[in-house]
Amino acid sequence: MTVAIVLLTLFGSAWLLAVIEGWTVTGRLQPAAPLLSGLAHLGRESIVPRSPDRVFFEAAPVLLLVVAVLGAAVLPLAPDLVIADLGTGALFINAALAYVLVALIMAGWGPNGAYAMIGGWRFLGQLIAYSMLIVMPITAVAMRAESLVNTAIVGSQADLWNIVYQPLGFVLFYIAAMALAFRSPFDLPTAEGELAGGVDAEYTGVRLAVLRLARLTLVVTLAAATTVFYLGGWHGPLLPPWAWSLIKTLAVAVSMLLAGGYLPRIREADLMRWCWTLGIPLALLNIVIVGLLILVVP
Amino acid sequence: MTSDPTMTLLGARHQKRPSALKKLVSRVMARNLSCLIVPGPEVALAHGLDVTAAGMRIAATPRDAGVLLIIGELSQKMDEVVAVLYAQMPRPRATLVLGGPAPSSLPHPDVSAGLSQEELTEAVGRVQRAMAEGAFAASPEDFDASVLHVRIEYVCPMHPEVVQDEPGSCPKCGMDLVAHEAGEDEGATEEASGHHGHDHEHHHDHEQQHDGSDGHSEDEHSGHEHDHGASGFMSMIEVTKDLSRSADGLQMDWLEVPFGPVFPGLPGGLKLTFTLDGDGVTGGQATSLAGMTTEGEDFEEVDAGTFIDHLASAMPLAPVSYRLLACLAIEQAAGLNDDPATTQARNAALERERIASHLGWLAQVGRQLGFAWLTHRASTLQLQFRDANRNRFVELEPALRALGTRLGRTPLLKARLKGIGVLSTESSDLRGPVARAANEGGDAWARLWQRLAEISASFDLIKGAGEPELPSLRDIGGVSGTGEATVDTPRGEANLRLKLARGHVKSYKLDTACSHHIGLVEKLVEGRELGDALVAVGSLDLSPWEVIP
Repeated sequence: MTVAIVLLTLFGSAWLLAVIEGWTVTGRLQPAAPLLSGLAHLGRESIVPRSPDRVFFEAAPVLLLVVAVLGAAVLPLAPDLVIADLGTGALFINAALAYVLVALIMAGWGPNGAYAMIGGWRFLGQLIAYSMLIVMPITAVAMRAESLVNTAIVGSQADLWNIVYQPLGFVLFYIAAMALAFRSPFDLPTAEGELAGGVDAEYTGVRLAVLRLARLTLVVTLAAATTVFYLGGWHGPLLPPWAWSLIKTLAVAVSMLLAGGYLPRIREADLMRWCWTLGIPLALLNIVIVGLLILVVP
Repeated sequence: MTSDPTMTLLGARHQKRPSALKKLVSRVMARNLSCLIVPGPEVALAHGLDVTAAGMRIAATPRDAGVLLIIGELSQKMDEVVAVLYAQMPRPRATLVLGGPAPSSLPHPDVSAGLSQEELTEAVGRVQRAMAEGAFAASPEDFDASVLHVRIEYVCPMHPEVVQDEPGSCPKCGMDLVAHEAGEDEGATEEASGHHGHDHEHHHDHEQQHDGSDGHSEDEHSGHEHDHGASGFMSMIEVTKDLSRSADGLQMDWLEVPFGPVFPGLPGGLKLTFTLDGDGVTGGQATSLAGMTTEGEDFEEVDAGTFIDHLASAMPLAPVSYRLLACLAIEQAAGLNDDPATTQARNAALERERIASHLGWLAQVGRQLGFAWLTHRASTLQLQFRDANRNRFVELEPALRALGTRLGRTPLLKARLKGIGVLSTESSDLRGPVARAANEGGDAWARLWQRLAEISASFDLIKGAGEPELPSLRDIGGVSGTGEATVDTPRGEANLRLKLARGHVKSYKLDTACSHHIGLVEKLVEGRELGDALVAVGSLDLSPWEVIP
């Protein structure tokens, strides 16, 4: 039952996101548009490029979708609405999302095309940039909660959300999450103007439909993680807990989707440099500050 | 529509009657049209066509497109490219040809129409109806073109001189020969590569069933790049012994990858060939696949009016400038004096085109950098400025100023452009905005601000001048003589010299800014990261049509 509800919420949010994205692009609110465009994909030919690595090519979109769902499995919508409230939940998300890299390298290698391959390897560089900025802010969050259990992390924010308690960590995590979801301006592996779609470039038809769904779901999962870690999860007045989780998750996801349209794509070298020379020292500073706060403020 | 025997919408195997589900899916597909524009979206904008408003999404790649939208007449080389692009599109697919003859390499177009927004909208409606009715129709003929053919030869991994047409073993060492595509490095097939250098699709012998299963496109020539087995016993040092060394000191395979001639981040018709080492560019060059072929000797004598029209239509990204250039040269040859009123109106038209052209370049920058807001804003403004009169200009002024202010405040933009594609004033090949920006730092960032400054300057000129008017030739009669004129086109100075005999143009010589700029590409991209190299090329604002061979 819980599994069904969480999955429904996850894909429902992905659908809502697609509607909102379409709204900003076309200026019309068309609730059916994402479903119809998915249906249109099913009608199109699903081309297999010449001499592909068939296993990688077929598995990549599915793996990406599975990874996004796995990550969502440990994120609580409400105190008792979580598929698996693991003892190492906060760490598990990070472990699950590491496979995004695997999926993208597979999608890059599989079709045997230069654009896709460069896109896949570019994401490897991107991982080196963002991964520390996912783990280190989570460390500070876990320090405050004194637990890696996600429900406990939300519980620790009952009085004060982490976005106020550790704003620096929130900013770093938010940016790193966008890089992980390879949304613009961090869309280096897909980069339309540079790689003509990169890892997406060779997918058509039903495979492309799965890939698009996976990418949207990944954004929802990361937005849900941001909600759990920084925005107080289900806490909020009047509305039931699940509604608050949903509203916050959607708000974060929409902000992640829309920000990209107003920014040019980041340079790969800049992303690396800023993440390591600026991001990591700041993340360490965040850990120190949170540590001091925990010691000083009872 | 569907009864047309030359229909190219290809679907599944023949069905007596489409099922309700298939009808639904084809109707949905008809409403979700995405098109790949050949030569490129900037050409559509330059013709004043708003493809999105006509009801089609603009796709970045052939894989993502259901409609191949061809604008204007294509050169011979682009004809071949179009065949490859078409082959890469997933079925059902349709072709829509606007304002030009259908490319000879493609099946008969599904819909053709003229070059205007009304005709485009109407044509899109026709494509939608055709798609709704014919998406799953049996294909009357399979698409095949000679450019799609590749010859497979078998080579010995140890002895490159051993090449056979059939599989076997090497007479020297007895190793199994490895399949390899012939002609991968030859010019002919390289020219024809569309989006994806080495994966031309073969659709013809694979019927795709649209029932979810997909027994498709497992090509008979499999694994030419993934066959590492044969060399597995060799150490990496031996394998890479004779390969050239890249900047990071590693000896690796270098990939030669084509970018363009139909590529979302580059002007359509421009083809870049990069030698890539990872995503670093170790070398590259640019060629134009669009553009003029009638130059010099094989030019046939035409009357002055026809010559002007020819020159203007040969330069779709700056037709007004070249029309003006031809008019001026011919009038000078005929010995006509300047008429101040005409000159003012013509210059206003030239400046208007400069504004529209620079806005088109901004939209292109937006496409290249994934900066959707800029693309949308700049192309909307370009369409509005393209044929605006003076009153409209005044109305549009705030929007234009706001665009400049906004760009100055956009985070990441400066980091993306600063220091990229630096050209010093010492180079003698610089023209127009590229030359003027060389004094201000000479990088892509300087060129952006140079073009924005030129937009403002042109704006002020038009406000001071009269109503813009398209240049038209004054009566010259049947005179003879030679004339020369120079016009500062949006991309730089263009110079035209021509000989006039009895009112006919006998010969001409054209020199354009882009002919000089295209040679700069090699230096600009060398040793740069791929993204930076593309930004550097993009910042030159090359028009492949204006590259004179």
